[in-house]
Amino acid sequence: MKFTGTHKFTTPEGQEYSLLGIEMTQRYRHTVGFSDPFYQGIDQGLLRATRCSGCGASWFPPRRYCPEDQSETVWYDLSGTGRIVAATRVHIPPPFGGVKVPYVLASIRLDGVDGGITHRVLTEEPPESGSLVVARFDGADPDRPPLHPLLRLAFEIQETTK
Amino acid sequence: MTRFVGFRADAGIRDLVAEAARNALLDAGSSLSAIDLGVAAYESDHFNRQMSLGHVLAETVGLTGKPTVRVEGGGATGALAIQTAVTAIQAGSARAVLVFGGETNGRSVDRATATEILALSADFEWEMPLFGTFAAPYALMITEHMRRYGTTAEQFAEIAVKNRRIALHNPDAHKGMSITVGEVRGSAPLADPYRLFDASLLSDGAAAVLLATRDWAQAHSPTFRDRPPVAIAGTAAVTDHPRLSDRPEEMFPHFAAKRLAARQAYRMAGIDHPSEQIDLAEVYDSFSGAELQAYEDLGFCPVGEGGQAAGEGRFDLDGLIPVNTSGGLLGRGSAVGATGIAQAVEVVRQLRGEVEGERAVSDPRIGVTDTHAGVGALAVVNVFERLA
Ligand SMILES: [Zn+2]
Repeated sequence: MKFTGTHKFTTPEGQEYSLLGIEMTQRYRHTVGFSDPFYQGIDQGLLRATRCSGCGASWFPPRRYCPEDQSETVWYDLSGTGRIVAATRVHIPPPFGGVKVPYVLASIRLDGVDGGITHRVLTEEPPESGSLVVARFDGADPDRPPLHPLLRLAFEIQETTK
Repeated sequence: MTRFVGFRADAGIRDLVAEAARNALLDAGSSLSAIDLGVAAYESDHFNRQMSLGHVLAETVGLTGKPTVRVEGGGATGALAIQTAVTAIQAGSARAVLVFGGETNGRSVDRATATEILALSADFEWEMPLFGTFAAPYALMITEHMRRYGTTAEQFAEIAVKNRRIALHNPDAHKGMSITVGEVRGSAPLADPYRLFDASLLSDGAAAVLLATRDWAQAHSPTFRDRPPVAIAGTAAVTDHPRLSDRPEEMFPHFAAKRLAARQAYRMAGIDHPSEQIDLAEVYDSFSGAELQAYEDLGFCPVGEGGQAAGEGRFDLDGLIPVNTSGGLLGRGSAVGATGIAQAVEVVRQLRGEVEGERAVSDPRIGVTDTHAGVGALAVVNVFERLA
């Protein structure tokens, strides 16, 4: 934490107040915990989900325990294809950088799992609802600034609905 | 409550809450000594710069020596705090509860820092790296609403115009404005179709209410017998999947938790026909389109008709149910921990006939408040009824 000095502030009514300048930076080592195989999948060009070993229900984002029967789940690979429910063009950059604005964001139902993901689609105009997409993976590039692993995943349009 | 403003240089979070609590106590004519419990409402240590703020605020208000509980529920924090007080009174563990909440969401942090902090309310693990502002998921919801029901951007822009216009007449409002649909559509894009003027305000502010049993009020509130008593007739809080893409597709453009919370709160209040029985409502207009979605999920109009209703001003001051007579989050503003409590203050003032001028609703009996966290991850609906 840093104290950067006292600043005088005058209200529109002409009253003067003291403002204390404070700066704080937090540094974290954020574990991805149970989801680690998903992140390893991004390195290998694979989308991974979990399936309940008891009732067979599938879960994405991954869950360690099935909420239906509390059984443990097992990991399996998805095909990487999906279908867009809705899409928008976002004009504000996401917090970790690595994305040029405007960019297209969509809610995508993933094939092979009862679940979906809100993610980037590599296209200029927001695609229509029902458009089919496929996952694309960027390898980690040591010459570029580090990119959040979720941003090394993106989706491409596979074929447009009529 | 305090006035909501962009920046209170003369008041930090403690001063704001002290001011709101004092206003509530003066209104009731009651002293702190007869109060059994304090409920503190605030969302973020990051904005208020104080961990364990609940008991700090209790001490500031003057409740030392009594129990205090801190309540957090994102955008629904204030309304959830009121529900917590109701639960304590219903359980018989308290006869009188002071609910106080506030937030310094305004300009005590610079824009970049505020954006960074607010991004933390999206799912840090699965969403936050993809979008740092709630404009994005709200935009996805309303895009699907437009596709399914033919809702237009001009229709929800009418809500942005309405609430800012109403706020011009509310002395407690952060920023009333006289703007046109064209100016809303012409403001800076956030996430298509939403523009800057479709988004609500970030304010500094606090609000407080005193809830008590009738017996306590008769004994300890000298002003109680001079005014029509207002009761909390119903309250409900319901959760949903925080992430939009996890929700069942048929509910994608709707707030499922809000629909369930409204149904439960209405049942408790004996409301069978919301559009006929409810006289006014404070609705969570974090984005202009969220208000028209709420018209449907709160049962004010049929599902799919929210856009049309907004376009024709069905829920304007002179409409079927006046919605956001305070100016809402778009005009009155939003100081998160205070918002749901400020809504209650507006509804109670209306039910008591204390609001004057064009904002006054004529002879209302039942008023509803509606807030939610995230894009409807938690919805809290409270129903207020004038008993005499
Ligand atoms: Zn199972």
